[in-house]
Amino acid sequence: MNDIIWSVILALISLALIAAFIRLVRGPYLPDRVVALDLISVLAMGFIIAYAVRFNQPNFLDVAIVLALITFLGTVAFAYYLERRV
Amino acid sequence: MSLFLLNILLALAWAALTGRFEPVNLLFGFLLAFALLWLAFRRRNEGRYFKQVPRVFELLAFFLIDVVRANLRLARTVLSPRMNLRPAVVAVPLDLKSEAGLVLLINLVTLTPGTLGLDVSTDRRIMYIHTLWLDAPEQFVRGIKQGYERRLMRILEA
Amino acid sequence: MLQMIIVFVLMLTGALLMLLAGIGVLRMPDTFLRMSATAKAGTLGAGLILLGAAIYFNDLAIYTRALAIVVFLMLTAPVAAHMIGRAAYFDGVPLWTGTVQDDLHGHYRRSTHSLEADMVPLPEQVNEVVEADDYAEEG
Repeated sequence: MNDIIWSVILALISLALIAAFIRLVRGPYLPDRVVALDLISVLAMGFIIAYAVRFNQPNFLDVAIVLALITFLGTVAFAYYLERRV
Repeated sequence: MSLFLLNILLALAWAALTGRFEPVNLLFGFLLAFALLWLAFRRRNEGRYFKQVPRVFELLAFFLIDVVRANLRLARTVLSPRMNLRPAVVAVPLDLKSEAGLVLLINLVTLTPGTLGLDVSTDRRIMYIHTLWLDAPEQFVRGIKQGYERRLMRILEA
Repeated sequence: MLQMIIVFVLMLTGALLMLLAGIGVLRMPDTFLRMSATAKAGTLGAGLILLGAAIYFNDLAIYTRALAIVVFLMLTAPVAAHMIGRAAYFDGVPLWTGTVQDDLHGHYRRSTHSLEADMVPLPEQVNEVVEADDYAEEG
């Protein structure tokens, strides 16, 4: 029973990742791709946390922290680049 | 401010004495200490703090209800085959002056689904909000001002 | 047992919100609408999953870490959305054709990157005011 619920949780996040990836490929504008990339890293963070709970590995939570910190900086850098490009 | 620190200290003392540093226990300790401080200090000239703490909780409750309601509407919109969107960028005049208040306001607005704080004019008089469903412009502006801005102002600038 | 039920409810809700963000970013017709879907559905989903993890491990060190990430996400996600939204509008990414109102139109000044609330474009400034149609032929 528990295994099924875990599979469902991880599958839902994977579907979201696929959807975000399609948007990343399709664009059409650079900001769209930045938004998709931002979402992908948040989704990856959720996936890592769910995985850490599923296999009882609290150490993986630190990976999620690092990902959250880096994503923000990456997005801000992209936004800066976009605005100065004009 | 000193009352707030005292309140936190008392909450920590409560957690230390009960030996359980769980969030629920800390929150309970905070409320207990708040009641105690209210009993002890309400007659002195410190009434402001006792009004602010309930207002913070009220803002949090209002925000959470708004988040749940707007998320359901977002789900309905995104999943329906013909998305019922009426997107708009709306200018909302600001009464809030402090920088911290502005940051909080724009963060709260962005975190409620459907609205997105886009930018604040350089002279900080007008905030531009992107919304998914603009039903009636005046009502929307009033909702933001009455719902979030007034509550924030009462907490920060009372 | 009860603990596991709470964990599962939180994680499932979080995963559903994340899926909602994914579908939203795929289906929404313009950049700003896509951002609307991701900035919060993603953040709230991550917050709920983190809360579920904290309740599962039930350890003070993990509670504080989860709280730190949630606060950080809630502070930064809107800032990131604001910065991308501003950059996108400034860059001339068009709004969806069904947009009913655009109060931001023509308020950005290109030379100083400032946003002026009561700017009336003078004839010689017309070229400086950003019009949201730079991408029109690419679209």
